[in-house]
Amino acid sequence: MNRRLEERRAYHARYKQTVKTRGKPFFPYAMFHDTVMSLLVVCLIVALAVIWKYTANEGTGEHDSGWLGKLYDEKADPGTTNFVPRPDWYFYFLFYLLRIFKWPDSVILGTVGIPTVALLLLLALPFIDIGRERRPMRRPVAMTAAVLTIITMGVLTYKGATAKEPLAAENLVLVPKWAAKQGFAGNQTAVDGAKIFAQVGCMNCHTYLGAGTSNLGAPDLSKIGKTSNRGVAGFATYVSDPSKFGNNVMPQFKDLGADNLRKLGTFLQSSGTCSPKTDTCPAAGGQ
Amino acid sequence: MANKPQGRSHQLLQILLYPLNWLEERTSLPGRSGIVGGIKYFLFRKVPSDISWGHTLGSAALTAFIVQAVTGVILAMYYKPDPNSAYESIRHITDDLWAGWLVRGMHRWGASVFIILLFLHMGRVFLYGAYKYPRELNWIIGVLILVLGMMEGFFGYLLPWDQTAYWATVVGVNLQATGPFVGPFLGDVLRGGSEIGPDTLARFYSLHMLVIPGALAALIGLHLWLVVRIGVSSPPWSPTEAGRPEPGPPPAPRKGLVAPAPRNGLAAPVSRGARRR
Ligand code: HEC
Ligand code: HEM
Repeated sequence: MNRRLEERRAYHARYKQTVKTRGKPFFPYAMFHDTVMSLLVVCLIVALAVIWKYTANEGTGEHDSGWLGKLYDEKADPGTTNFVPRPDWYFYFLFYLLRIFKWPDSVILGTVGIPTVALLLLLALPFIDIGRERRPMRRPVAMTAAVLTIITMGVLTYKGATAKEPLAAENLVLVPKWAAKQGFAGNQTAVDGAKIFAQVGCMNCHTYLGAGTSNLGAPDLSKIGKTSNRGVAGFATYVSDPSKFGNNVMPQFKDLGADNLRKLGTFLQSSGTCSPKTDTCPAAGGQ
Repeated sequence: MANKPQGRSHQLLQILLYPLNWLEERTSLPGRSGIVGGIKYFLFRKVPSDISWGHTLGSAALTAFIVQAVTGVILAMYYKPDPNSAYESIRHITDDLWAGWLVRGMHRWGASVFIILLFLHMGRVFLYGAYKYPRELNWIIGVLILVLGMMEGFFGYLLPWDQTAYWATVVGVNLQATGPFVGPFLGDVLRGGSEIGPDTLARFYSLHMLVIPGALAALIGLHLWLVVRIGVSSPPWSPTEAGRPEPGPPPAPRKGLVAPAPRNGLAAPVSRGARRR
């Protein structure tokens, strides 16, 4: 332990000595490199701004996007909810983590757990990797860890950039729109069911009024109350254990509990069967 | 000071140097250098003779930060942090002001360049093993800078008050609010209430243009001070790496393995010779 400290101190003392006797002055040698690099950085930033401006049209629509995106989007409107939020690219990896750790049990891992652990590891790096060796080829563990980290971050960022599946929090903001369109806004049980539907991962397989992703052959559920018409209790039983109905793809949702399943069932039964004009739905219990 | 007659050029030099000497005298303690001495030390301090382009990434990040600061100050002269006029003020900057699009574009894209340079610089430091003794503290400061830099981006993203900005922030803050214990509280603090509205925008603006840049500037100052104090590391693979034991310790042949004797025997003198250059 003590020897290690001594070795390090000796190393740094030798470093100082070598630099003093054989180093070169910062100005002009290093400063020259720094200046060239800084000029390049400024040129790059200006170039990006110019490309952004001159390839985009002055408008807010889809077709106004240039190579680097639109000049501006439409003004924020808390009333529209069909907007898919995208953070800046350097948050894509976090964004994608949240798709891996699903609502509601493990989402904390994605939002808080993993980022915190990663950050702590990064901070603690100099105290974990305490060997004196600095040559990359002789630090196989550190180098492997670094390469794996880079690959992971790269993949997560790429997946986050191209991901289509919506996030629970994104789906949730759609619920009022669904309620208005389907006409179950007046039925609080159905609205609650819609919120559960938006959050527990149904939309990773099912689409609903254009939102969600279609996966594993799961049907669109926008009109399921009409087409399938199992009734509130029927849907609740189905969702609770789909395998009983020969559906071995869809997971069981027994754990949601009877109350939540009833809400889900009400929502499903209200989909396609309510009248948006009169705001009336079939009485709970299905037709 | 001898008062011998000197040449013209010497007198001229004295006149030119006068303000510098004036400054130095007024900023120094007895026996210690002041501002001018400090700058001289900074400029003419010795650095390892084998550093090269890899070592420019730090100052590249500094340049990007300065670009953000300058363009940000200009934007702040025209931007209005309230939901009714924020979006319009951004459009005004982009469409009407002379070179407004350039300033906004540089600030917008400069942010990404800054983050990329931070990662590249960090990668360089990692590759060189430069986070090891005695530079641990500077690594920690660097990580804090990285986190603050990303937060700066998060808070700046809402300011244009357009759809992307608004909904990304709604989701972003909702996600923070899922955190245990302090999560919901944090969400409310960030929003300044239960909804994203005027208070949120003002809060984000203040964080984005005062609090975080201030903290960043302070940390960058500390970072550079440590860089100058400790000195930058040599590339570890350099034959003239500063600090390597001299002469190089012959790698101890491992027991049980056939020692690659000829290679060892040759390598030592060769590298020693290289170090003498
Ligand atoms: C892993 C993918 C997956 C997930 C997650 C999933 N489903 Fe399904 N679901 C399916 C598939 C596949 C089918 C079609 C099965 C078939 O028709 O044989 C289906 C069918 C259905 C049906 C149609 C039943 C009928 O009457 O035809 C309903 C209703 C349904 N799912 C509701 C839900 C709900 C509610 C959730 C969330 C709690 C959910 N699903 C989650 C894959 C999934
Ligand atoms: C605004 C952000 C930053 C600025 C302006 C900056 C600037 C600098 C400069 C000018 C150097 C001198 C050598 C070089 O350029 O490579 C340096 C070295 C260093 N930086 Fe940074 N840096 C920043 C962020 C970071 C980050 C994010 C990390 C790591 C997490 C970091 C860790 C280090 C370390 C450990 C050194 C010492 C390297 C050595 O001695 O070889 N810095 N920094």
